[in-house]
Amino acid sequence: MKAPAPAAASLAPPKLELRGICKSFPGVRALDDVSLAIWPGETHMLLGENGAGKSTLIKVLFGAVAADAGEIVFKGKPVKIASPADARALGIAVIFQDFSLVPYLDIAQNIFLGRAFPGRVPGSIDRARLYREAKRVLDMIGFAIDPRESVHRLGVAQQQMVEIAKALSQDARILVMDEPTAALSDRESEQLFAVMARLKADGVAIVYISHRMAEVFRLGDRITVLRDGRRIRSLLPREASPDELVRLMVGRSVDMTYPRQFHAPGEVILDVRGLSAHTGIADINLQVRAREIVGLCGLIGSGRTEVARAIFGADPIASGQVRVFGRIHPGGPEMAVRLGVSLIPESRKAEGLALIRTVGDNLVLAGLPKLFRSGLFRPRAARAAAAAIVRKLGIAAVSLQQVVGTLSGGNQQKVVIGKWLAAEARLFIFDEPTRGIDIGAKAQIFALINELVAAGAGVLMISSEQAEIAHVCDRAYVMRERRIVGELDRASLSEENIVRLGMQQ
Amino acid sequence: MTALALKPRRVLRAPGLLAILAAILVGFALGARDFTTAANLTNIALQSSVLLLLALPMTFVVMTEGLDLSIGAVLSLASVVLAQVVVATGSVSLAVAAGLTVGAALGAVNGILIAFVRIPPFVATLGMLGIAQGLALIVSDGQSITGIPPSVDFVYEGRVLGAPLPILLMIAAYLLMHALLYRTRFGTYVIALGGNREALALAGVNWRVMLILVYALAGACAGFAGLLLTARLNAGHPTAGVGMEFDAIAAVALGGTSFEKGNGWLPGTLLGVLTIGVLHNGLNLLTIPSALQVCCIGLLVILIFLFEALRKETP
Repeated sequence: MKAPAPAAASLAPPKLELRGICKSFPGVRALDDVSLAIWPGETHMLLGENGAGKSTLIKVLFGAVAADAGEIVFKGKPVKIASPADARALGIAVIFQDFSLVPYLDIAQNIFLGRAFPGRVPGSIDRARLYREAKRVLDMIGFAIDPRESVHRLGVAQQQMVEIAKALSQDARILVMDEPTAALSDRESEQLFAVMARLKADGVAIVYISHRMAEVFRLGDRITVLRDGRRIRSLLPREASPDELVRLMVGRSVDMTYPRQFHAPGEVILDVRGLSAHTGIADINLQVRAREIVGLCGLIGSGRTEVARAIFGADPIASGQVRVFGRIHPGGPEMAVRLGVSLIPESRKAEGLALIRTVGDNLVLAGLPKLFRSGLFRPRAARAAAAAIVRKLGIAAVSLQQVVGTLSGGNQQKVVIGKWLAAEARLFIFDEPTRGIDIGAKAQIFALINELVAAGAGVLMISSEQAEIAHVCDRAYVMRERRIVGELDRASLSEENIVRLGMQQ
Repeated sequence: MTALALKPRRVLRAPGLLAILAAILVGFALGARDFTTAANLTNIALQSSVLLLLALPMTFVVMTEGLDLSIGAVLSLASVVLAQVVVATGSVSLAVAAGLTVGAALGAVNGILIAFVRIPPFVATLGMLGIAQGLALIVSDGQSITGIPPSVDFVYEGRVLGAPLPILLMIAAYLLMHALLYRTRFGTYVIALGGNREALALAGVNWRVMLILVYALAGACAGFAGLLLTARLNAGHPTAGVGMEFDAIAAVALGGTSFEKGNGWLPGTLLGVLTIGVLHNGLNLLTIPSALQVCCIGLLVILIFLFEALRKETP
């Protein structure tokens, strides 16, 4: 399938075209027949929610991920991009969000990493030339800094500039930037935009991923919206409005068959006031009542997980107060568990489960102090407690002796929840409870969360699936740039409203 | 233009170590008889030569976020192989080549296990420690190999232009390794291996080969150190290198090289080696048993770490 070229650009052929790109990972269709055309001297904005396929598309373009199907056409000729080296040879450079800089090398060495100028002695570096060339590239983007400065001394914005210098030093003609302003101040962003304007005038094609609506309209010459791995539409800024773009980004057809009963909320069991932590979150205020499911949403990196960790006591609090069940949480996960709080982390494998241990072992792990107040471990009692939870949650395990790592994702998630049931928790904080599990298991997880709530517990749920939040939650808080920027009650809780609040206007 | 590593702010990298080294020197000068004689100070340098040859490449290894536990055992093996060859053939150059080859080969095997088989450095080199130590005992039949010709002894006892040869070798080794780390592409890659391996891969550098070269370099240096050790002992001894990996890693740690992110400092390793040399020597003069000396070095490593951690937290 050919990318339909909008009328304005049909005069010149595109510099680079992706046609019908498909890519699947186990269980996920990351890209499904995506086409994209890039013209020289243009900025092409790539929009989409978390998981829409933007990152995978960039990786295909850069040869870091091989597409299952589709072709790449460069200046009218089909090309293979099998490695980053191939991409570079075509003049494609990518500035990833997590920088590809070496902290204890200086700026010049980072810019020319792997391409240093040979000196007279074999293997040596022509340092005079190295620093001269580095200076030249840095001057090009108007970044006044000593190229001898070690990168680990630089701030995030300065590192961003070094990344750009690095890309330009490779004579990049197609520059891909993944949320470049995410870590920049307004002034630094302006500086970056000035550099971009200069590059555009010079005929460089820019692909720009952003979650900031203002940037989309200010910088974009062309906009492509991705959703669920498919290209929804390519359009020109004058054809679009912010509302229209939001509508294109959402509208995900999620199976909404999980049952949800709403209960009259009880007393406030979690009361967070003016919470700030060194992880960057600031002035967080939120409440969760008994028998209530409260969503915490926002883009990845907006600070949701940091809020959860600070509430739980896993990260120290800089200021503010967390009250659970009317008592001040003094900090520390041990105290949280004792107060009846549980955190079901995003990375089950890393934080939530001992994968190589058995189902039985994992289930009683957090509940040990409650199950065995004397401090002595009684295997029979532990087995009985674990067996009760397996029955209650319907965990599909052959026996308590089955190793957790061999269970399906949904059943692993149930074990994590069961672990906290054994610990007699009454406030549950879920971080992405449905990530990486199939639809059937999702329905079971939500049924379980419903049961917890019906039994009087409170739930705070982080999720990137806005549709799920909108469907399941009583209320939701939306975060942006490490602050809560809005609260949506049941009546106003919709996917569109979550996305609108989550993006900077 | 002289952007050498010894910029003023860089010297402050290891203030704790400098202070302690100064305190130890003053302490021994006051407390131990004959410590400050020229003969003794020369002796310290001589005794440090083998350790320096191990600690310099160990710094490279640690900067790649790795570790080489086998370096002491490889040193022993290289020493007995060298001794066997020189006793059997009489050819010094053949013997030195054999020692270097054995060291470089075992180091390369370490590197391959780590880079390609993806065995953690700790495990791979721990296994190699056992293998090399066992081989050293087998090659030598568990005995010291004597009958080393005087031409080998010259390496340790000889003088060139009035200066003891091992000290000249030390200086040469340091300058060579310093240039290698801070002046060549390979050195840049060493720093990047620990700092951001992904960046190196994206830059189109074959990082696995570079990692293998780092471990092979460590092995080759151990092989060369085997020559100095054999010359010093006037024999090849299968357990002479036991525990040397501890001293080498301790010297690196004392010198302020971090075990993370490629944050290393080669001049610091030189200081670390000298500190350990001075400590051994002074404690010997004070007739402190060697077991207790090992304790002292261990304690020093921990103290320096605490000191640096404290300093970082209170800017």
